[in-house]
Amino acid sequence: MSGTDKDNDLTGNGSIDNPADLAGAYALHALSADEAAEYESYLARSEQARIEAAELSDTAVALGLSVAPVQPSSALKANLMAQLASTPQLAAQAPAAAAEPTQTDAPTDAPPAVIPIGAGPSRSAASTAATASSESAGPVDGATEAESIAPSGSAADRAQRRWFQRPAGYLVAAAAAVALFAGGTFAGQAIYGDPTREFAQQQAASLAEINAAGDTQRASTQTSDGQDATLVWSGELGLSAIIVDDLPALGDDEDYQLWYIGTAGPVPAGTFDSDGSGPVWRVLDGTMTAGDTVGVTVEPKGGSEQPTTDPIVAIQS
Amino acid sequence: MLDLMTAEFDLDASSTAPSKEELLARVAEGDQSAFGELYDQIAPRVLGLVKRVLIDHAQSEEVTQEIFLEIWQTAARYESQRGGASTWIMTMAHRRAIDRIRSSQAGRDRDTKIGIRDLAVPYDHVAETVEVKIEHERVEKAMSRLTELQRQAVSLSYFSGYSHREVADHLHIPLGTVKTRLRDGLIRLRDELGVAS
Repeated sequence: MSGTDKDNDLTGNGSIDNPADLAGAYALHALSADEAAEYESYLARSEQARIEAAELSDTAVALGLSVAPVQPSSALKANLMAQLASTPQLAAQAPAAAAEPTQTDAPTDAPPAVIPIGAGPSRSAASTAATASSESAGPVDGATEAESIAPSGSAADRAQRRWFQRPAGYLVAAAAAVALFAGGTFAGQAIYGDPTREFAQQQAASLAEINAAGDTQRASTQTSDGQDATLVWSGELGLSAIIVDDLPALGDDEDYQLWYIGTAGPVPAGTFDSDGSGPVWRVLDGTMTAGDTVGVTVEPKGGSEQPTTDPIVAIQS
Repeated sequence: MLDLMTAEFDLDASSTAPSKEELLARVAEGDQSAFGELYDQIAPRVLGLVKRVLIDHAQSEEVTQEIFLEIWQTAARYESQRGGASTWIMTMAHRRAIDRIRSSQAGRDRDTKIGIRDLAVPYDHVAETVEVKIEHERVEKAMSRLTELQRQAVSLSYFSGYSHREVADHLHIPLGTVKTRLRDGLIRLRDELGVAS
């Protein structure tokens, strides 16, 4: 077991009764995020508690499996399947104790793409990131927590620790988005305008932020050529992002340019390109004002001061 | 861990179908058809549990969708040595259902519906597989070994989604007592069900 020095701050405020008493409530998900975090910090220090927690969690599952199954509507599956292609998958946890050898050379061209952006009319799933963060959160979730715990235990502790980990919500979303850029390749998605890593990460972080905002909204339409286009935005953040499926690639001398079109007329909001297949997305530069229309035009390389062509798509926020 | 349950639920997947663990491993590699198969195998159980907690059908489907997207996203984080795929998924399902309840309106909507509900594990005798029936009876029997107060506390928190503080309020007993009941109740269940590491 690890030393107690790191844990002084945790045990110090443990004037509440024995943390071990929380084992049942924890397994039943009957603790608040703060309480669960406190219990987890106790778990991180006690092998015995981890065993108990695992067993009680399994016991709770037995309760869950005793409930009569309910057949979901067929629309549910269809909806889900439609969203897979645009829902990025996380890699096995990086600081894993024993990296599972399941990371194969197998197709990495399986199309991870955008943060769960949802399929048009289905509003629910698109908010996965947002829900997770707003509902379960607490500052202890996800990567931060994992990292803060990791150094204090053995590899086994960490492995075990993961089992209890609560959903990372926002952080997972951000990590997923950043993962798209891992290795410098952007998984088939295009932000060719400025392919620096910082830019890509900043884009990904912004997109995750939008998705995790409390007031995330989205609207979908089609481009003049019939590709699906979705605008997702947060009025609170003043940020928006556009996602277009299968947007044709442009010639070397052209870029797609984004515009915020409000009462003052079109304001340039960045350029991007597409490789012609799969979803392409771009968080717009500048600040969105509620009610702005977001437009995309084809402009000479590098963009224009004012639109020089008709928009291929326009979506009102 | 969970030898017993894993074994049973591998059975109900039948020996011809790939196990949920295998499917999950393929899902982790981006295999959409494996995801579809996994969904077919376990979605009714997930929805059954979520709906048991949330009551409202539409909302339960919505949460079920979120759960399966989370499965898709985090499949690579599943560690088979830590337990069966059903366990991983059902734990996630329950947690998400609870998260939904704790989020404002969902909880209030549910509270209006929950007032009249019996605390016992309800069970409709719709077309169930033998395995589900057996499991249900096994759990019901184990539940019957708890004290009434343990059973109430465990039911209220697991099936009705009450936090332990809410259980305390609801039953007018001190929080410390609720903690003890939940823990002792689950330990009793664990022993009755033979769940052990």
